[in-house]
Amino acid sequence: MNETFAVLGLFDSADALMEAVPKVRALNLGRLEAYTPYPVHGLDRALDQRRSPLAGMVMIMGILGALTALLFQYWISAVDYPIVTGGKAPSSWQAFVPIMFEVMVLFATFTAGLGMLLLLNRLPYFGHPVLQAKAIRGITRDRFALSVEAEETFDPAAARAALEAAGARDIELLPAPARGPWLTADFIQKSLAGIAVACLVSGLVMFAAVKLVPILPPMSHMSDQPRLDPQAESAFFKDGRGMRPPVAGTVARGFMPPGVASEDEAARLVNPLPRTPAVLAHGQAEYRIRCAVCHGALGNGISTLGAAYGAKPANLQAPNFLAYSDGRIYGAIVLGKNAMPSYAADLPEDARWAVVHYVRALQRAQNAKDEDLK
Amino acid sequence: MSADRTAKLLWSATALGGATAGASYFVTGGPRFWANWVVWFLFLLTLALGALFLVALEHLVSARWSVPLRRIPERLASLLIPLCAVALIGLGSLQALFPGARPEAAGDPALAGKAFWLGVPFFSARVALCAALGLVPLFVLLRGSLRQDRNPDPKFTIRARRFAPVCMAIFALLVTQAAFDWIGGLTPAWYSDVIGVYLFAGAFMAGLAATALAVLYLKGKDRLQAVRFDHVFNIGAFLFAFTVFWAYIAFAQYMLMWYGNLPDEVIWFQAHTGGAWLGVVALLALLHFFVPFFALVPRDVKGDPKRLRWVALVVLAAHWVDLYWLVFPALGAPVFSWPELGFALFFTCGSLLWVRGAMERGEDMPVGDPFLKEGLEFRL
Repeated sequence: MNETFAVLGLFDSADALMEAVPKVRALNLGRLEAYTPYPVHGLDRALDQRRSPLAGMVMIMGILGALTALLFQYWISAVDYPIVTGGKAPSSWQAFVPIMFEVMVLFATFTAGLGMLLLLNRLPYFGHPVLQAKAIRGITRDRFALSVEAEETFDPAAARAALEAAGARDIELLPAPARGPWLTADFIQKSLAGIAVACLVSGLVMFAAVKLVPILPPMSHMSDQPRLDPQAESAFFKDGRGMRPPVAGTVARGFMPPGVASEDEAARLVNPLPRTPAVLAHGQAEYRIRCAVCHGALGNGISTLGAAYGAKPANLQAPNFLAYSDGRIYGAIVLGKNAMPSYAADLPEDARWAVVHYVRALQRAQNAKDEDLK
Repeated sequence: MSADRTAKLLWSATALGGATAGASYFVTGGPRFWANWVVWFLFLLTLALGALFLVALEHLVSARWSVPLRRIPERLASLLIPLCAVALIGLGSLQALFPGARPEAAGDPALAGKAFWLGVPFFSARVALCAALGLVPLFVLLRGSLRQDRNPDPKFTIRARRFAPVCMAIFALLVTQAAFDWIGGLTPAWYSDVIGVYLFAGAFMAGLAATALAVLYLKGKDRLQAVRFDHVFNIGAFLFAFTVFWAYIAFAQYMLMWYGNLPDEVIWFQAHTGGAWLGVVALLALLHFFVPFFALVPRDVKGDPKRLRWVALVVLAAHWVDLYWLVFPALGAPVFSWPELGFALFFTCGSLLWVRGAMERGEDMPVGDPFLKEGLEFRL
């Protein structure tokens, strides 16, 4: 093991340093290192240092951080405990992006910092020899240092001569540092014990603070928000309702509600649905739920409700109803007729027309002719 | 290729493009013609304003590194002169594209209150005012800079540094007007405060990309030999940084509106991401952010002429896609066919003709600038 760490000389400008580097390098005396008050571009290439792997490490870890955040958020909000917040789907990637960015930066900066210190700067060196040099005052201000570091075989006198020949001043010899053992059992035990004590003390203090001073809840602004809960009352609005109904006449974009304003308008409409078994089955189901209770299962106006309350619902088998156009039946469903209220809110557009088809089928079934059998 | 042949080729390409573009008015209709016109007007306007921003920025912060390059963005900024005509002709699009300028607007309760602002007279007045305002920085910064070539007097440098803040204000006003009127005006019921910043991010990238292309072209012709790796590197680094800025602004605008989910705001994104537009959005994200970002990540390639050249071309293409995405949804589903190609031919070759002429004005470097020596010695 060599007693000397390096031989170091100072230059007055970055250009002088850059000129000296190839001269000293050609002699091949030892590993070259430069110390400058600011980054000098091109120096790493002149020193023939291997490309730092740090950039690649930071890139990979940054991408890994973003992916970690994406998968973690996806898992917690869409897989493990899916919950709809703010009307958004649980797996809304848009909401994940800011946190993906944060975690990416976190991973990248930790990789850059720790990678630089531990892997590339070969810590633990608790004191780099150059920090003990006389030259350090100059290096941190306006001088540029070049040092020839000792390798297996090293001739300090030759290095000194080479630096002198290259124009360096204030040449000095840096002794090798004592590299103390670092990760000893004692050090690890003390560190872990220190962390444990710190956790215990801060936990106890927090517990005591919350228990002894109950007027200081640790964090309440999540539960005490100046917003109104659903169905809550509000003194702010005249009608006292916290939930506001939409302005009258509001419709969703692209969802103009279908419907008609008058019976005459309805009479001109044509049934847009095809007469298929599926549509008739749909119409039958809806008819039995909404219509049969008054108009009867056969559409003849004889029903349980009519018998119980003496109401007289329309007999859809009567000749005037047989003569109705499809549109008029549709109009009766949407607008209501006599005592019958509008069923527009109960039956969506396709259900209304399916019911019209089913009523037509009922009418034909009750007035079957011989040729229907053929 | 000789200079004469290049000029002839450019002239005939411009004529061919112009004929195609003109024919599209009668074949595919007025709205599509005007949408193309507005896209190309905005493309060249933002490019020229981005270049002007580079010039003004140098004067504003007394930058030294960019002094040897300054003549290039100055020449690109001179595109603002022909753009005055393009803007005034573009006013023909008002009735075809802008709902607020149509007579029906008076019957629309959402637009009636803004009739004065969105109507043809005041819209035209704003455009004319901005065209005139755009010529002021050219008059002060470009003419003075050219004069300094012949008479190396530092007086201009001092004047330019004093004028730079005013130029920045004019720049901000012009970009905001372009964004609010020409883009926001297409959907007057939609509001976005950040659309001006969004356009600025694209404008600066377009200006930088065009500057990079022009610098590398002139270097290839042995005309800017004193410009070194370090200068080119700085342009590449700026371009790299602003890809992130653009992506940040674009995503921030989208995410906030998506979160807020206000009907009058999200409808814009519904129209601009619905159907085939989603593919355009993906292309935009790819070309405007992912490709340039990852292409410029490694350190040394920021100053590598080959890499920088194609990244700059990608950025310019992406800027066109960006404006296409902002304007064309006013017509419905995305359309791309011969009218768009005709317009591209007409406006690229036309502007190249102008820039070619401008490249011969004055010296290639501001030889009279007192900071030129310092700029040439610039080291990273």
